[in-house]
Amino acid sequence: MEAQRIIALIKMELKKLIREPAYLFLMLLFPAVLTLTFGLAFSDPSLGMSFDFMVPGLFAYACIFIIMTIAQSFTDNRAAGLLKRMNTTPMTSGEFMGSHIISNMIIAIFQVLIVFILSILMGFSHNADAVGILLAFLVIALLSLSSVGLGLITASISKNSGTATGLSFIFILPQMFFGTFIPVTNSTRLIAMFLPSYYVTDALKSIFNGDSLLSANILIDFAFISIVSIIIVIIGIQLFKKFGNK
Amino acid sequence: MERDNIAIEVRNLKKYFKNKFETVKAVDGISFNIKNGELFGFLGPNGAGKTTTINILSGLLKPTEGTALIGGNDVLKELNKVKALIGICPQEPAIFKFLNARENIELFGNLYSMPKEKIKERTQNLLKKLDLLEASKRKTKGYSGGMIRRLNLIIALINDPKIAFLDEPTVGMDPRARRSTWEFIRDLKNDKTIILTTHYIEEAEAICDRVAIIDYGKLIEIGSPKELMEKYEAENLEKVFMKITGRRIMEGM
Repeated sequence: MEAQRIIALIKMELKKLIREPAYLFLMLLFPAVLTLTFGLAFSDPSLGMSFDFMVPGLFAYACIFIIMTIAQSFTDNRAAGLLKRMNTTPMTSGEFMGSHIISNMIIAIFQVLIVFILSILMGFSHNADAVGILLAFLVIALLSLSSVGLGLITASISKNSGTATGLSFIFILPQMFFGTFIPVTNSTRLIAMFLPSYYVTDALKSIFNGDSLLSANILIDFAFISIVSIIIVIIGIQLFKKFGNK
Repeated sequence: MERDNIAIEVRNLKKYFKNKFETVKAVDGISFNIKNGELFGFLGPNGAGKTTTINILSGLLKPTEGTALIGGNDVLKELNKVKALIGICPQEPAIFKFLNARENIELFGNLYSMPKEKIKERTQNLLKKLDLLEASKRKTKGYSGGMIRRLNLIIALINDPKIAFLDEPTVGMDPRARRSTWEFIRDLKNDKTIILTTHYIEEAEAICDRVAIIDYGKLIEIGSPKELMEKYEAENLEKVFMKITGRRIMEGM
């Protein structure tokens, strides 16, 4: 793996984020708008749902949309012949995929930073210490890994960008409704148990609650997220290499 | 042809695409050699197999049968060595629209692991030669078709390849831009082997040292434009193609 190639690809991805208005909105402005909206809508405790309860879900919520942007980006690049062209250079698929994973982790960290700062400004109170907050960021970085993997799976089975956008919701919607801030019932728990965002939200709730970072709950969540994210991204890479790069 | 002087060696190359109903023979058993420093043209109508051949030679497609050596390296077994030797200008320009010309070129320079200084120097030279220097910091979204074609060509040459594949590099250019691009390509062959695909007769006649005429995936004739015109007693390559196939090149499009 060559650092020069990976850095060049990461820079390119980050420039895309800044220069493409749709990406900029979805990746950075959307989490901000979402936090402000929910912060205002649920600032009244008499509603029965407090903003403090929702913030861990908001962390995960923003990151889930990476599935869509990855699926769109890969199908667009494929349609424009860019993947083929890059394949004629000495760049390896590991460098290419690695750069996407790193750039999306960076984006996810920015998203969480925005949500976290705005939440604090809107009155979010938590009991996490500095190490706990760092762990929260790490958990989100791992969720971004699974989102990249699911985005690659979507891109592999999508013929074009429009289809990729639609199909990405197969992975986005269950994670949004059963794995973030919407309370899980007995009937939806069975679905939630298979969703990375459910474990991310659960871990974040424990972290912000001030639980010991070595508590069984956090460790189990962390282990699940790590293993599942790695498996999903490996499946995504293999599927994309086989079917998505044609 | 001395073996040391061969840049590309192709033997019995075949590429068949199968679908439910038929097997399409896109490349059907072609063999040829290209010398170092030669400007070699693939001439034929659209769908003749020119781009498929280039895609095999650049490692993008695996042949159904046959071998191809690029600079002595097997495209199937030594693809990494092949990639380091070649530059590709695809028929459909492939550029990142949210980047400016300079950023596009530099990105590909980095993918070839070129030293930063070398990337900057070559980017500047190529932008100047292909008259894109002034627009180089503008996003490519606003470029004309001709500007995008020129940028497409520059990216193919950023790594200073020994062998450059130029797939229909002048399609969509106005006559003036096309002629200046021919001049540029002619200058390139001082230190490179160029493989050019085209369906423009005048392009093949004007700049190619030798041409291979391809039709329905088969190589039907090979030689210098002059040799072929003499052999078939024809005044241009269009008539050569007509005498061999009984139709015009443009009819195949």
